[in-house]
Amino acid sequence: MSLDERHARFMERIRRGEKIEVTDWMPDEYRRLLIKLIHMHGISEVMGVYPEKEWVPRSPNLRRKLSLMAKVQDEMGHGQLLLRVVEDLAEPLGKSREDLVTDIFLSRVKFHNVFHMDAETWADAGLIGWLVDGAAIINQVSLLETSYAPYARVLKRICAEESFHMQHGENIILALAMGTQKQRDMLQDALNRWWESLLFFFGPPQVTDAARRMLEYRIRVKTNEELRQQFLDKYIPQIRAIGLKVPDPELHYDERKQRWVYTPPDWEKFSRIVRKNCGPKSQERIQLRRQAHEGQRWVREAMLRSAQASAAV
Amino acid sequence: MEKREEKRAFGVYEVFVQKTALDHHRHVGSVVAPSPDVALITARENFLRRDPAVNLWVVPRDAIYAAPREGDFFARELDRRYREVSGYSENGRLWKMFKEENPDFEEMIRYFEAKEAERRRSLLISEGEQESRGSRRS
Repeated sequence: MSLDERHARFMERIRRGEKIEVTDWMPDEYRRLLIKLIHMHGISEVMGVYPEKEWVPRSPNLRRKLSLMAKVQDEMGHGQLLLRVVEDLAEPLGKSREDLVTDIFLSRVKFHNVFHMDAETWADAGLIGWLVDGAAIINQVSLLETSYAPYARVLKRICAEESFHMQHGENIILALAMGTQKQRDMLQDALNRWWESLLFFFGPPQVTDAARRMLEYRIRVKTNEELRQQFLDKYIPQIRAIGLKVPDPELHYDERKQRWVYTPPDWEKFSRIVRKNCGPKSQERIQLRRQAHEGQRWVREAMLRSAQASAAV
Repeated sequence: MEKREEKRAFGVYEVFVQKTALDHHRHVGSVVAPSPDVALITARENFLRRDPAVNLWVVPRDAIYAAPREGDFFARELDRRYREVSGYSENGRLWKMFKEENPDFEEMIRYFEAKEAERRRSLLISEGEQESRGSRRS
């Protein structure tokens, strides 16, 4: 069968809504797009741990500390599940877990803009759970319908656990919203700091070539702007309900077009942060990741030698 | 060199969780690990942070022999209703006929004749289908 015929058959499967497995034939482009998307997703889970783990030793009480640690552990677990999916896809290209992880500090993989930012106060820790995880859930739920089955299966587990993260974050911000004036101000400051990042999180409104290909392959089923509108639909009423103000005087709902109108974030600034790892916390967190990976190399090697020794007996 | 070694030696283990003693082990995903005992611990940390379980298996991926995904390995060409409870839905109606005070044998005969006619018709249709399928294949 010629390559064109195979490709046509593959697209026919996609159109019928069939799910693709790692052992199935797939176009190189499909494989590359999946690797790029899921690698970035997995690494973002891992790097997403840093802004939050900074608050573990400073949690206001033991209960908050325990739930924050549980969340941090979940994010690392999600990173591992997603990297497993990428490893299987990248195997024919000769890439292993080691490469996927070292890509972070060799700047060969990007991670979400929100994880380059500073979590200055405890309100940021709560807001990350409430709105950053909220945005991530909207994105991940839309991906449950992806054409790539191994990704969809892992996302099912991830989405279930993310709803715990969201509740955890909401609980923190509700406590602050019911607190003193100082606590409420802290919360408003956190929202002001994160608002632009949150809008950027969904990506540019125009459908790029890569995004269009992903939609055609049904790797993704919704556009950036559809997801961003869904986020605004859900969270603007919540933000207003607890007495916070969205830091955008232009923000309003256009009844005629049935969509939110907002001041666009500084696309250039945030995309530079993601491309060049030059956000306020990018380098510090990447260095910590490098230390963790390289500092524990001896443990991985010792485990390997021990397994080889026992196999040789 | 170090990198090469790690690449080769970390194996993929498929993970199976048994939720309760009355459940079978069920596949939930996979982990990479340098040895089966580390695979067990990684699997517990990855898949059982919340879910209760009574047992866990890790199986080297190479040990799994899978059916093909393409082709007609799972094809069901025959009508298999005779294997299923739903294939016997007429029982209720038949029992009812017998349990009536004065069973109407005429009605029973009409019922079975109509059924036989229907069976013949469906047989003709499915033969026709098979023929057209066969012709498409060739």
